[in-house]
Amino acid sequence: MTKVEATRYGDRMVYTVSGFNRGVAQWLRRLPELWLEGEITELRRNEAWASCFVTLKDPQTGATVPVTISRRRLDALGLDLADGERVHVQGRAELYEARGELAFRATTIERFGLGEHLAALERLKRALAAEGLFAAERKRQLPRFPRAVGLLTGVDAAARGDIVTAISTRFPPARLVVAETRVQGPSAPLAIVSSLHALASHPAVDVVIVSRGGGSFDDLLPFSDERVVRAVASCPVPVVSAVGHEQDTPLCDLAADVRASTPTAAARLVVPDLDELTAGLARSREHLGRAVRRIAERDRERIERTSDQLRAAPRLMLERRRSVLTASGGRLRALSPQGTLERGYAIVRAQGRVVRSATAVSPGAQLEVRLADGSLAARVEEVFE
Amino acid sequence: MTDPQQLSFEVAQRELDEIVGRLERGDVPIDDAIGLWQRGEELYRRCAELLDAAEGRIEELARADPGDEAG
Repeated sequence: MTKVEATRYGDRMVYTVSGFNRGVAQWLRRLPELWLEGEITELRRNEAWASCFVTLKDPQTGATVPVTISRRRLDALGLDLADGERVHVQGRAELYEARGELAFRATTIERFGLGEHLAALERLKRALAAEGLFAAERKRQLPRFPRAVGLLTGVDAAARGDIVTAISTRFPPARLVVAETRVQGPSAPLAIVSSLHALASHPAVDVVIVSRGGGSFDDLLPFSDERVVRAVASCPVPVVSAVGHEQDTPLCDLAADVRASTPTAAARLVVPDLDELTAGLARSREHLGRAVRRIAERDRERIERTSDQLRAAPRLMLERRRSVLTASGGRLRALSPQGTLERGYAIVRAQGRVVRSATAVSPGAQLEVRLADGSLAARVEEVFE
Repeated sequence: MTDPQQLSFEVAQRELDEIVGRLERGDVPIDDAIGLWQRGEELYRRCAELLDAAEGRIEELARADPGDEAG
């Protein structure tokens, strides 16, 4: 590396533009060969040029870097690169000294093949899962009565028709907001994200269905794009993904709140069945009437029982009183002298006073003996103690 | 209590179910039962009206295609 000369002006070391560019170029040459991944855009090739130019774009951020490759090498690769294709590019950083412009000088370009796609998908899936984007706890309940159903569908009559029909059949009053979207090709992920935002922002949309165009691997790929997956995961309204099918589970299926394997299944998830609703209402009304009648019946029975009891009450009371009287009468009789006399006892009086002791009288005394039904006049013969 | 005409289908149907439940449990004096039954009938009518009146509608969102912008 040659040292770049600077000129001293007082305290300052000042470089020429060429000197600076050369210096930076030298620094860049210390970087090793690298592999870059990005999307092909603005591919320019001309028979008259020794080099071809590509602007390689980062799909995540939109950042770009100019790539140059010798025309001979490019042709030797035999690729027919199209705009938007994902590729791997091997080469080194380079500064075009005359302009001070950074470029990536490529030695080879490879298409991002199926194997790479799958591997990248696996890595992405693991990374997003680790972030918790697919966690069961994040799944939300779908509203029973959405004011409107948002539908993200491809620019394809058949795909859209199936879901719309399924929903309208199940619940004819359903209100649908449809966002026809480019769901294929390199611009699909951004288009899908944009439609999803638009649907979720619609004031009446309470649930969104995301549906696919075709079912091939390429068709499903945009729905595994990280931007789409994150948009689904962070969507403010619940999302039903009707994208995946038996053979394939794109990542947006995992991020959605619910998955639906068919248009009918999706319809069943988002709207109620009108016939069932109507029948249920009629049943409720019937139960309402029956229940009130039952209460009225029960009340009537209670009133009748009560009035029966009331009618019986005076009679009952008299009977009770009578038996009490009878009982009292019995006790009274038991206590009075009459009862005692009737049992055989006698009340003995001498000179008007009741004789209680044998010593109170002497032989010859006049006695009055009172029996239950009469009395006797008697005289004491003998006293025994 | 909210005028049934103000209630959404969801809310009206839920209240109707609650009323049916209370009446079926039966622990309601007859006067209250009649009042509840009347309320239930109003709620039923509201729900039925909402189902009858509603018409399906399909609204298209204008497509803003980033693909077109990128060229």
